[in-house]
Amino acid sequence: MIVEIAHFLSVTSAIVLSLILIFNLFFYFADSHTNQIILSNKLFNQACLLIFISFGLYVYLAAIDDFSISYIANHSNSQLPIFYKITSIWSAHEGSMFLWIVFLTIWSVLFVNYLALEHPLKRGTMLMLTLIILGFLLFLLITSNPFERILPFAALEGADINPVLQDPALAIHPPMLYLGYVGFVISFSFITAYLFHGDFNYSWEKDIKSWSLIAWIFLTIGITLGSWWAYYELGWGGYWFWDPVENVALMPWLAATAFMHSLFASSKSSVLKTWTLFLGIMIFTLSLFGAFIVRSGIIDSVHSFANDPQRGIYLLGFSGFITLISLAILAYRLPQLQSSKLIVAGSKESFLSMNNILMLTAIFSIFLGVTYPLILESLNGNKVSIGPPYYNTIFSPLILITSIFMMGSIDALWQRGMQLRKLCIAVAPTLLLSILGVYAIWHFTKIFSLIAYVGIFSGLLIIMSYALKLFSSLYTKAYFNKGSLLAHIGLGLLFFSVSMNSILSYQKNISLFVGEEQFVNASLSKFQFLDLKKTKASNHDVVAAKILVLHDNQSIYLNPEKRKYFARGQITSETAIHTSFLRDTYLTIGDQLDNGSWTFSLQINYFVKWIWFSSTLMVAGIAMTIFKKKIL
Amino acid sequence: MNRIYSLLLIGLPVLIFIFFGKVLLTEESELASYYEPKPIPQFQLLDLQDQQISPSAFNNISLLNVWASWCITCLVEHPFLTQLSKNDIDLIGLNYKDSKVSAQQWLQKRGNPYQFSIYDPRGDLAFELGVTGAPETFLIANQQIIGHVQGELNQEKWESIFLPLIRRMQNKN
Repeated sequence: MIVEIAHFLSVTSAIVLSLILIFNLFFYFADSHTNQIILSNKLFNQACLLIFISFGLYVYLAAIDDFSISYIANHSNSQLPIFYKITSIWSAHEGSMFLWIVFLTIWSVLFVNYLALEHPLKRGTMLMLTLIILGFLLFLLITSNPFERILPFAALEGADINPVLQDPALAIHPPMLYLGYVGFVISFSFITAYLFHGDFNYSWEKDIKSWSLIAWIFLTIGITLGSWWAYYELGWGGYWFWDPVENVALMPWLAATAFMHSLFASSKSSVLKTWTLFLGIMIFTLSLFGAFIVRSGIIDSVHSFANDPQRGIYLLGFSGFITLISLAILAYRLPQLQSSKLIVAGSKESFLSMNNILMLTAIFSIFLGVTYPLILESLNGNKVSIGPPYYNTIFSPLILITSIFMMGSIDALWQRGMQLRKLCIAVAPTLLLSILGVYAIWHFTKIFSLIAYVGIFSGLLIIMSYALKLFSSLYTKAYFNKGSLLAHIGLGLLFFSVSMNSILSYQKNISLFVGEEQFVNASLSKFQFLDLKKTKASNHDVVAAKILVLHDNQSIYLNPEKRKYFARGQITSETAIHTSFLRDTYLTIGDQLDNGSWTFSLQINYFVKWIWFSSTLMVAGIAMTIFKKKIL
Repeated sequence: MNRIYSLLLIGLPVLIFIFFGKVLLTEESELASYYEPKPIPQFQLLDLQDQQISPSAFNNISLLNVWASWCITCLVEHPFLTQLSKNDIDLIGLNYKDSKVSAQQWLQKRGNPYQFSIYDPRGDLAFELGVTGAPETFLIANQQIIGHVQGELNQEKWESIFLPLIRRMQNKN
């Protein structure tokens, strides 16, 4: 019964949303009256409330194990802890789409009510948001209904969620990512409304700045959590695989990053306006593209949901429809948007416009990497894979150019060019320190890889220039943007640690009998297989090994496990990780060989923790910027 | 200038949408492509276990599958290859532009369907063969490459492209 109520509420919400659209279309060209907006706003809030209640009921149904609902029966299990019963909702297509819509609704209802009644763009924004929510709600109800019952006989027990998904990081990774993706619906709708309205004297940037920054924070946390989970749960020792689904998350992130910078420029000195508007539209468009790629099954990926061409066509059609509305209005308004101001070479604006161009290049490169296999397939029916070699080659020069411009931009001023002599004096110490740093790394490691050293050098350039800026301003007490400093140092550290990781990390495969020990290399002088235990847990068998590793004279005990789950017969490997300041000792247990010995894969991963730390720095930097402004 | 931008702003997305729509709507067209038989190029390479491999290793009817640990589509075709390896056809891997460590780890993690994998980190042999990317599969018989599938090898392509060629070879003998 409850599920029918939840279903009914969602349908009602869809009806109310369509009524808002019809009502406003009808009256849009008649005399506009405040009461119309008040009425629409109230209806909008009610429709959103209906969706929240519907989702709340669904969460309740998942928590009490209502296996008469097909989706819950397929993805949950009565033996699961209540936490995973709830998170199982977003472990597959239908439920995660529902969550996606709920987040869309949360952002929309907050933003619409944040805009004052007299705000000139309130009505337009609200209508655009209504259209988008309605489109996705219909998508959910028509093509991927989570409320479907198994009738007449309900399942007695659920099928369980995939054990690798039974993990706290993965439970919060999708919600964070979705909050980020969907958050940019605000800038998308607001910009569309602004372009449609046509009063270009209005400074719209201030209204959505903080909203975009918050969405950026969620997106960054979401991507980082996914990467962290992959690192410790999948047991491959990697943190980023250039998988199509990771790529479609990275594209909106890059667009959002460019948008934040461009927004800064256009609110300060009214240049780059068209750029900012375009980027604001692009972020959500790329999010929709991501949803399409993941949910249509068009690309084979380790992440993708089940194939269903009907879903793909609906998503493509609807995304295309709203994106084209937005872009067409932008194209129509282009002549009026032209700024009469020219950008002075060497000014802050010129660096920010360079930033836009570089980010767009990066996005386009990823887009090409994601779609190239599809293009080839449609041309001659073949499938190929584009992997890390492509992305590494494309990104290392881009990163180098970006960091060189970033270094130059620190002392740049608004609307004024910089003298070449002054610029040289400003960057000389940074360049010198970075070259010394690269030389020192080469001196100590004696490993050379061009791509990695480009990354290290770029990272050092950014870190050094901001560090020097910090020291000099401690002396001169000059003002500097602390949030920006933190975020950029985070970025530099990210380049640095990713590159260091790639040259220093290594892996050894070892096979041993219980009680044996082995010499691995000079720094890993002993690898001892102490003990092996087989135990039974509530829903899986466990094989747990006890290993002693002597790493640079430090004794490390590691307990890697292998689990076999009863419900699905799936085998998972629980990695044992020991973390020190610079490196992780990362051990997974493999199969038992025919002669009775066990195989282990031992990885020494350098600077992985630093990667998580650098994205934390970026998030902290942006958070500081928000709270300093106190707009919200 | 503005007109060009406007055209790009609308035209480019429209093209992209049409392209994806076309991809979604067209069924995978199977081209039973005719492949001009050619001899295996000369090479001297090591396999992942550091054994010397030369063209004489291809004795029977064998499949040469180009793979890499970074290749996602290889992951997709892996179960099918594992199934194939149980037949009496030699399945030989060509590990393409990969590092030895990650290749070995990949095989250890997912199971090794190959009799051995030729280690080709710079893509030398792959270049001689005319490989465009991973995965690709070549059908070899009597020291001749007689068939070729670009991209994922699946049941459908196996039946439509390779199986007829193999039957023809067996009838000849």
